[in-house]
Amino acid sequence: MEELLASTIRNATPLIFAALGGMFSERGGVVNIGLEGLMLISAFFGVVGAFYSGSAVVGLAAAMGAGLLFALIHAVMTITFEADQIISGTAINLLALGGTGFLMVEFFGSGGTSPRVTGFDAVAIPGLSSIPVVGGPLFNQSLLVYLMYALVPVTFFLLFKTPFGLRLRGTGEVPEAVDTAGVNVFRMRYYGVALSGLLAALGGAYLSMGLLSAFTEGMTNGRGFIALAALIFGRWHPVGAAGAALLFGFAQAFTFQAPQDVIPLEFLNMLPYILTIVVLAGFGGRAIAPAAVGKPYRKE
Amino acid sequence: MSRFLRDAAGALVFPVIAIFLAFVIGAVLVLISGNNPIVAYLALLEGAVGSPVALGRTLLNATPLIFTGLAVAVAFRAGLFNIGGEGQVYIGAITAAIVAVYLTALGPVGIPLVLLACLATGFMWGAIPGFLKARFGAHEVITTIMLNFIAINLATYLALGPFRSEEIVPGTRTIETFMRLPLVGFGLSRVHYGLFVGLLAALTVYLLLWRTKLGFRIRAVGLSPGAASYAGMGIGRNTVLALAIGGAMAGLGGGAEVLGVYGKVSIPFVANLGFNGIGVALLGRNHPVGVVLGALLFGGLASGAQQMQFDTDVPLDLADVLLAVILLLVTATKLVEFIIGKRARSLATGTRLDEGVS
Repeated sequence: MEELLASTIRNATPLIFAALGGMFSERGGVVNIGLEGLMLISAFFGVVGAFYSGSAVVGLAAAMGAGLLFALIHAVMTITFEADQIISGTAINLLALGGTGFLMVEFFGSGGTSPRVTGFDAVAIPGLSSIPVVGGPLFNQSLLVYLMYALVPVTFFLLFKTPFGLRLRGTGEVPEAVDTAGVNVFRMRYYGVALSGLLAALGGAYLSMGLLSAFTEGMTNGRGFIALAALIFGRWHPVGAAGAALLFGFAQAFTFQAPQDVIPLEFLNMLPYILTIVVLAGFGGRAIAPAAVGKPYRKE
Repeated sequence: MSRFLRDAAGALVFPVIAIFLAFVIGAVLVLISGNNPIVAYLALLEGAVGSPVALGRTLLNATPLIFTGLAVAVAFRAGLFNIGGEGQVYIGAITAAIVAVYLTALGPVGIPLVLLACLATGFMWGAIPGFLKARFGAHEVITTIMLNFIAINLATYLALGPFRSEEIVPGTRTIETFMRLPLVGFGLSRVHYGLFVGLLAALTVYLLLWRTKLGFRIRAVGLSPGAASYAGMGIGRNTVLALAIGGAMAGLGGGAEVLGVYGKVSIPFVANLGFNGIGVALLGRNHPVGVVLGALLFGGLASGAQQMQFDTDVPLDLADVLLAVILLLVTATKLVEFIIGKRARSLATGTRLDEGVS
């Protein structure tokens, strides 16, 4: 039971980071199906940074730098050059997959798996971690998990309680009105996409420096897409997205423990995707995306 | 004639600029990796078309991409984005792997039937996002992505569960040799008749889109949904059909890969055919002829990269990077304007690529 809960948190953490990132991008009006690629490239550079410096913190900084850089490519292509957001996102995913393969050979001499690096080990929080049942699973985790706990309310506050959040949401819903009010729509969208890169980077760094302490090719393994599913399932809301990610994390944790002759692993793997389709099809209420999402903004 | 030339030139502006810039960026990467770009690119060229064997590898790589490129292009003509090619390939592949084992009694006569089965399951799988969009307004981009993972898991379950063989490599039973697509020959090593099935599929899509009422409706819906609806063309029906026909193409492609190349579905099965199909379709401007050319370019890049890795120490993955950059640049209309100026842009955007996508 405790292991199931701890495993749920571990599985959900990268999904929550990436889903919160995707939320900023999409709330600002830019679809980001490149989350998978952003996580992958960040996971790689986190390991590169940690490998050459011997420091996990430097690795994390490198991961965030890489996530930001790749997110900015998406931003420049879609916001400034009006490229199709779906195509650009698909290209980012492909670029990350090919790019990490290419760079693995350049940095570590061969593909496959990188050397082990210093990562973020589990740190027990005194007091809290000794609470019966939930203490261990929740409060004996990597520092990045604690960062995730903090970021859910922070993103909620930023999005719904600050002028920045209002403007960002406005650029995703009615960019013309926001523009008329004197806010720079293009800049707001850049911020949204940049934040998606930084947050997806945290998710990627957690994979390669929190869970595994090494990079393996293609290690994100569809998690960026599950994060996208969590974002939609959670209706573009930080708490909803985190909740959905926890649910998907639990399904993954369950697959490791459930006897496979009861429910085949593959059917549990399908769960997040089926649920997302169900939500999108409007069973149990409509899921409504930001109105201007996917459309390039052109100033008249 | 001059109009035709102008249109053709316009159609080529985007792809040519995208390909050129991608190779420039690739050259920088090759330089950084400590190799000579000219040597690397010559090796790439040699590996793509330098010998019958190389050409054969290119054609072999291009074959499935013709199908997945068509899968994207048909949907695109109706203003729909089919990111589901990957899953549709898996559905077609697993269908072939299962059905071919049961149709052996018919002998080689069964081969077209197997392919028809792949066409049918791909059609049905493609119809799902179409139906969800037409009936519930669920956006096809998200549903097709989600259906990819569902299809991959479903195929994995079937290949490793009920239809698992006793063979060493985990997967379905290997199909009898006489049920496989024959090789073309001419020293083109492993090129199989799936290539001709692909070309036939491209021709069929062309005739369907430009020579039938259904095709006219699909294109009308893509160009102007409002006008098409006003003219009494059921948007929902055409949405379902366009995505279903796309699914049928990708499903057929998955089946052709199994019958022509692998002989079974082992897990993991081939990756990224669906995603590269998006690039192929965009590069080919969603026209069947363009799709075939795009598939050849992508196929050539993949086979050339093998030679490049062999001759220099540039990793194979450079091909994926080049493809990604091409994909990234090919729809950036403003970038082209930035590079070649406004007048040329209006020429190049005679038929805008991003039109109809929302």
